[in-house]
Amino acid sequence: MSLLTMILKMSEGLGKTCAIFFLTLLFSLPLGMLVALLRMSKNKIVSSVVRFVITVLRGTPLMLQLLAVTYGPYYLFGANVSRNKLIPVVIAFSINYAAYFAEIYRGGIESIPAGQYEAAEVLGYSRFQTFVRIVLPQVIKRILPSVTNEVVTLVKDTSMAFTVSYQEMFTIGKQIANSQTSFVPFIVAGVFYYVFNFVVDRVMGGIEKRLNYYK
Amino acid sequence: MREEMETVSEKTEKTGTASAPILEIRNLQKAFDRVAVLRDISFSINPGNVVTVIGPSGSGKSTLLRCASFLETANDGDILYDGEYALKGGVYASKKELGRFRTLFGMVFQNFNLFPHYSVMKNICEPTVLRGVSKEEARDRAVSLLKKMGLEGKENAYPCQLSGGQQQRVAIARALALKPEILFFDEPTSALDPELTGEVLKVIRQLAEDRMTMVVVTHEMSFAHAVSHRVIFMDGGYIMEEGSPEQIFQDPQQERTKKFLSNYKQ
Repeated sequence: MSLLTMILKMSEGLGKTCAIFFLTLLFSLPLGMLVALLRMSKNKIVSSVVRFVITVLRGTPLMLQLLAVTYGPYYLFGANVSRNKLIPVVIAFSINYAAYFAEIYRGGIESIPAGQYEAAEVLGYSRFQTFVRIVLPQVIKRILPSVTNEVVTLVKDTSMAFTVSYQEMFTIGKQIANSQTSFVPFIVAGVFYYVFNFVVDRVMGGIEKRLNYYK
Repeated sequence: MREEMETVSEKTEKTGTASAPILEIRNLQKAFDRVAVLRDISFSINPGNVVTVIGPSGSGKSTLLRCASFLETANDGDILYDGEYALKGGVYASKKELGRFRTLFGMVFQNFNLFPHYSVMKNICEPTVLRGVSKEEARDRAVSLLKKMGLEGKENAYPCQLSGGQQQRVAIARALALKPEILFFDEPTSALDPELTGEVLKVIRQLAEDRMTMVVVTHEMSFAHAVSHRVIFMDGGYIMEEGSPEQIFQDPQQERTKKFLSNYKQ
């Protein structure tokens, strides 16, 4: 198999790689905020439960979680393993990444000085207005470097979908590597991920720059 | 309505005894984890008056302002705005009521607490607009207040581009844009370089001349002497002494007051 054929075959999986990537961000970024807010809840039971769930999600391998979400329903309820693996893959990724984003958000929210809340309160902002208009924009600026870190990791983590045989780029590459007894597909995959992350880095850098208008 | 208030207060004497107090505090008590910070505070302020609160660090001055502005929850006592109870015997009025009282006062913080992601203009305008004032009106108010604060041309600057003194003047403009009946200052110059305190004190002095009702917690004794109608000396959670600036600064009655002021002169 020529190099070009390999690249073309693997490119067919890039759409699925991108699907995992963008859908995971789409769901995990807002879900993480919800988890962060519950984690900071004044209700001790709610915050402890959420805290425990976060430790589980961060303390066990993503690969295990992928397997659990994909095949768990079959072993538990005898349900059919869904034919479109994208759904369980995105669910597992979104939940896992939401746990990480939640802790990043929490750190960001807790770093906003109390004086910002106090000023807003005296000026008549409601709690919701204070959060959306005053706190959140400042939090986003502060956490952006940490979020970039996670996003870069996510690009590479999409390769873990091979454990449930979802036909994304890396899964195809691994199959070619096996059938051709060649290491080349792994190098191709490495270049793909690097280019992907190069773009991610530029985009996130651009956003950071746009938020640099204040300190 | 505001203009009416101003003309009324212009007619009142410097001590302003003719009108009812805008703020009255009775037997206020506040403890943090059983450490009493305010033990038994009572005082009132009439429209058009300036009261300065002096005293050593930890005497409860800031806590007093923070209780008056509902940033801290008092344990006992009364707080009345315009003769209406915001706090009665340690029990607060409803949230809605407190929201209404909140429109009566403004607060200027030691650390300015401007919103760093907003321009000067937006810092001043947004709270005003959120209270239902039209954008044009809010803009007009902001422009004239910035002029008054000596900050023309800074409309589009961000707080980080301003000096501390300028930031504090923006914070004062932001509070004034809401047209409060009474303005609280919590050590407004304590976070400033000495060379910048002057420009902030000048603005506050100007407000006093305009008959703005103010309670100022400060360590600037000569300023307190010059600007206040009444001076309150606090120590250990009590008001130790209260009187005209002449009385407090030239003829203090209490030993603690004498000692505090003599420390200051050194």
